[in-house]
Amino acid sequence: MTTETTETTERRWNKPLPNIDLDNKAFWDGLRDHQLLLWTCSTCGTQYWPKCYCIKHENEPYAQNMSWQPGSGRGKIFALNRHHWAFHPGFQDELPYIYALIELDEGPLISTTIVGKQPTDLVSAVGEPVQIVYEDYAELGFTIPRFELIDA
Amino acid sequence: MTDRQRIAVVGLGTVHDAPPGTSQRMMAAEAARLAIADAGLSISDIDGALDLRRSGGGGDRSTYSDVFTRVLGLPAQFYFTVGRGGAVAGLATAVATGFLDRGLANYVVCVGAVDDYTKAQLTKKQGQRGMAHVEKEGYWGKALGDLRAVSHHSWMASRHMAEYGTTSEQLGAIAVAQRAWACMNPEARMYGRPITIADHQASPLVAEPYHLLDISQISDGAVAFVLTTEDRARDCAQKPVYVQGQGFGEVAADLWWEKKNYTTMAVAPAKQKAFAQAGLSGVEDLDVVQLYDCFTAEVLFQLEDYGFCEKGEGGKWVEAGHTAPGGTVPLNTGGGLLSNKHLGDLTGFSEAVLQLRGQAGERQVPDCEVALTTGHGGELVSPGLCSIHTSTILGVA
Ligand SMILES: [Zn+2]
Repeated sequence: MTTETTETTERRWNKPLPNIDLDNKAFWDGLRDHQLLLWTCSTCGTQYWPKCYCIKHENEPYAQNMSWQPGSGRGKIFALNRHHWAFHPGFQDELPYIYALIELDEGPLISTTIVGKQPTDLVSAVGEPVQIVYEDYAELGFTIPRFELIDA
Repeated sequence: MTDRQRIAVVGLGTVHDAPPGTSQRMMAAEAARLAIADAGLSISDIDGALDLRRSGGGGDRSTYSDVFTRVLGLPAQFYFTVGRGGAVAGLATAVATGFLDRGLANYVVCVGAVDDYTKAQLTKKQGQRGMAHVEKEGYWGKALGDLRAVSHHSWMASRHMAEYGTTSEQLGAIAVAQRAWACMNPEARMYGRPITIADHQASPLVAEPYHLLDISQISDGAVAFVLTTEDRARDCAQKPVYVQGQGFGEVAADLWWEKKNYTTMAVAPAKQKAFAQAGLSGVEDLDVVQLYDCFTAEVLFQLEDYGFCEKGEGGKWVEAGHTAPGGTVPLNTGGGLLSNKHLGDLTGFSEAVLQLRGQAGERQVPDCEVALTTGHGGELVSPGLCSIHTSTILGVA
């Protein structure tokens, strides 16, 4: 049983594991349910990622006036690069890959790779609309968020 | 002004090429030994030590933690780590100033050592590329292919290109100019190897838009410097180099809503404080400039943010040759991190000291009395960039 799981893990995910901790566990749970959750202030509605206190006013202890709420999963490319080198053997198969900083429609920035149709020119790709796609690794218990280009 | 004494750099020690198999702690100890001797002091004079690192604790460079002072036999009354990456020179100087100013120490030695080159050779054998340093476990991007500084710093270049039309060739102009300076520095890794814009464009794409020649050197080595108060400095062997002004900027708090810090750095508050303390009216008062240059775009941003040129005009400005030897602004005159060595984030600081002492050989800037040195570093706030900026004015007047 243990051996099988290890073999499956090596075949399907040969990259560093995502960092799931006390502050972002609910966010990763949301990804598993195919929801991109944003940390949302119930006082003023401002949305953040990752988790933090709302900077617009004084907060309740431990930012209890805030909670994870679904976002649109849409945004546009804010900045990007194209990796031609793999800095870890697990990324060798993906080369060259676009790693982009996405400005979500709600305001926060999040980063991941662009899948599907690839931007050819990096400069003109800035500002292009994108939406989230979910890459499930059910046996490992996590879902990786990726983004793809969409029509405006 | 206060009636407190100024603080001075009185000793400088640099390890450029350690014998193979030399540990980081031995490089650190050796650089400290050289710096103390350079100041005309003895080891028994040193009563404080700061260990300058990429991260403050639990991160890399832990191999020589808490031992370099013992290796050297320093009778330091305090010893601790200052770790904010490229900002360590400015931060350590500020920390040491506090100890000296309050009479808690008479002489403080600050040391940074790296063995990135050796580590990179080892990791290459394991199928990895580039510097051995991998972003820490807690960092968001690690599972997503963001493993090295270049994986996110290159965003800054692409963003500047999109906002202002900056080109890869213009970034290349920064690399070419610094290489020309390195060709006048026999200690530089790239001494005797001039490059052209065509060489920059032909160098491998690593994380596009960055070519290999947009990226700083991977080095082994160490730098140490000794700080003391003005009255003690007068009795030291070298001409004192005074800390004339210091300032800091921090953008970590801005990341989620203030998105302009992908084309600027936290220069404004740092510059304002440092220039005011030093009594400078602007960049025209500087004789030599050592800007932190982990990647080419960082240099471009700082040139704009300090006001050497207008925001967005940096590309054209460097293309005009202002920063090359013979230009209007002697910039990163030893070759910088790009073409000299990445000596524990202290390359620019040590070059400024050499220039102000008149010890920079063929590349010496005439009548060099005021230098700006900067730093850039800190934790990566997901999904962000190094947040701190330090500005330090050194001078001999
Ligand atoms: Zn709020």
